[in-house]
Amino acid sequence: MSLASRRGIATLIVLYASLMLVGLAAGPAAAGPLDPPAGYAKAFTCSACHGFGGNSKGDTVPILAAMPPPYLIKALKDYAAGKRPSTEMEPYAKMAIHLGAEDVAAYFAAQKREPWAGRVDAAAAARGKTAAAACAACHGVDGRGDIARGIPDLRGQPPGYLENQMRLFKADQRSPGDEALKAPKAMMQTVPDATLADLAAYFASQR
Amino acid sequence: MSAVAALTRRRLLTGAAGTAGLTALGGCAASTKGDFAPKSGRRVVVIGGGWAGATAARYVRLHDPGIEVMLVEPSRQFVSCPFSNLVLSGVRTLDSLTFDYAGLRRGGVRLVHETAGAIDPAARRVRLGEGYLEYDRLIVAPGVDFQWEQVEGLAAAQDRVLHAWKAGPQTARLARQLHTMQDGGVFVLTIPPVAYRCPPGPYERVCQVAWYLKTQKPRAKLIVLDANPNIVSKTALFRAAWQAYPNIDYRPGNKVVKVDAGAREVTTEVGERVRYDVVNLIPPQRAGAIAVQADLVGADKRWCEVNHVTYESVKHPGVHVIGDATGGLPVPKSGNVANAMGKICASAVAHLLGGRTPPVMPPGNTCYSWVSDREAIAVVNVYKIEGGKVVQIEQKLTRGQSAAVARNSLGWAQSIWGDVLG
Repeated sequence: MSLASRRGIATLIVLYASLMLVGLAAGPAAAGPLDPPAGYAKAFTCSACHGFGGNSKGDTVPILAAMPPPYLIKALKDYAAGKRPSTEMEPYAKMAIHLGAEDVAAYFAAQKREPWAGRVDAAAAARGKTAAAACAACHGVDGRGDIARGIPDLRGQPPGYLENQMRLFKADQRSPGDEALKAPKAMMQTVPDATLADLAAYFASQR
Repeated sequence: MSAVAALTRRRLLTGAAGTAGLTALGGCAASTKGDFAPKSGRRVVVIGGGWAGATAARYVRLHDPGIEVMLVEPSRQFVSCPFSNLVLSGVRTLDSLTFDYAGLRRGGVRLVHETAGAIDPAARRVRLGEGYLEYDRLIVAPGVDFQWEQVEGLAAAQDRVLHAWKAGPQTARLARQLHTMQDGGVFVLTIPPVAYRCPPGPYERVCQVAWYLKTQKPRAKLIVLDANPNIVSKTALFRAAWQAYPNIDYRPGNKVVKVDAGAREVTTEVGERVRYDVVNLIPPQRAGAIAVQADLVGADKRWCEVNHVTYESVKHPGVHVIGDATGGLPVPKSGNVANAMGKICASAVAHLLGGRTPPVMPPGNTCYSWVSDREAIAVVNVYKIEGGKVVQIEQKLTRGQSAAVARNSLGWAQSIWGDVLG
């Protein structure tokens, strides 16, 4: 047997031994990706609409992956109280609060965000970039927001969801009476309806 | 067995095997003799690749990639029942609802395109053709089968009297029957007594057929013979939607007990005969055949009673039942609930095989119905688990029908198809 092949066999043995060790260390009850972090068992039902790990594939459904917990918890409370009117979300928000909103939010905060990969109208996004100058003071030029001030990251959210929310802001149907939302609502009232889809396309296309 | 044969066999069965290998596994009777895929580690076998079974198979692997998962499903394609009523009206194509199982394979699920013949819970084996598979835990998701014998003449007329209640070839055939019916014709749709798959489904179908007839065959009529005393689900919303369709003749409390395909006539329980040009007879239902054969059904001989936390059968330890085949839970037989049960059961099975206590996970239900070519309604149900049983917390309906709800339903579909199939 040549030295080269002996070395080859030795390498294989070492490899095999390491694999065995890894196998033993992992043990028979090896935890899958759904075990850590806490909260999966309370958040699992959300994936029907919000996608696995909160990475929605649906145009009208927001991506929850990597969402900061204070933002999501406020959203759940507003939905449950009917302040953000939604047939779908009011019952599910109540369920999430019943199970533990903090755990649900912690689960989504720990997920890696996959930005919207569906179709975005490029011409609309280009028009939206110009119109988005009005949003930049709070959301930043690309829409990244400032979560310390409660301003959400709009980048890569599904365009249908973004457009719906802008309509709700404009009509004061999202959390009416919420002081923090007075300024963006006043700003949205200056935006023509025809521009909403352009803005949505722009922010959906940002990374 | 020779080493070469063993290697070949192993190759055929590996999750990484190409289409050729899977074809051999699914199609060749010789490959299903004896223990044709000997078990080396922990293994979960899933019977049925619908909404519940496909979800469960995918999620067991997500919980623990160390568990081998084999999904036994005769069909190579997944056709979504939700939205299939829209194929009848021509609003959607069947192609747009048809998916493959490539996502599950990518997730390490091994597909066996065979029909499970029997279950031996004592030996922990599933029989396939002349062979068998061993399992540590079995998940049975057989959906529903039809009680042909409940309607006289139906079994013999299956080729002409269509149910289209399992999306696929029958959906396309019923659409053709509807589209080729003459203007002025009578379309009869019959609804079975509860419980059946998809409570609002027949009423959504009524909307789609009525919308199609109103726009394409304005002199035609739709007679609905409902075995139930009233619209089973989203009652007020459907009633309101039907205001737009004067071509609907809705007759509650009319259970169909006989069909005569030659005379083109159905007969109700009270002996009334109704003539049709096209009939869509949705038969009474029970759990899929394998669940009945394996003695998983309860005293009603129709549905399977399960533990509300683990979905383990109350009759056979080690065997879990999910999806439409279950009974005794306060949940509808819907795609969304099947998906939830798949995730809950996968978690329970992974925990049990790892020697851990399964977490308590209540299901949820979101259900959309299209009432025209562009508007929809919805109902949402959420649940908790109390004293080990699933209990409803709340039900909420849309205030009316709208295009916005229809758009939401498309968002739901895109996400949940991905959640089921990967």
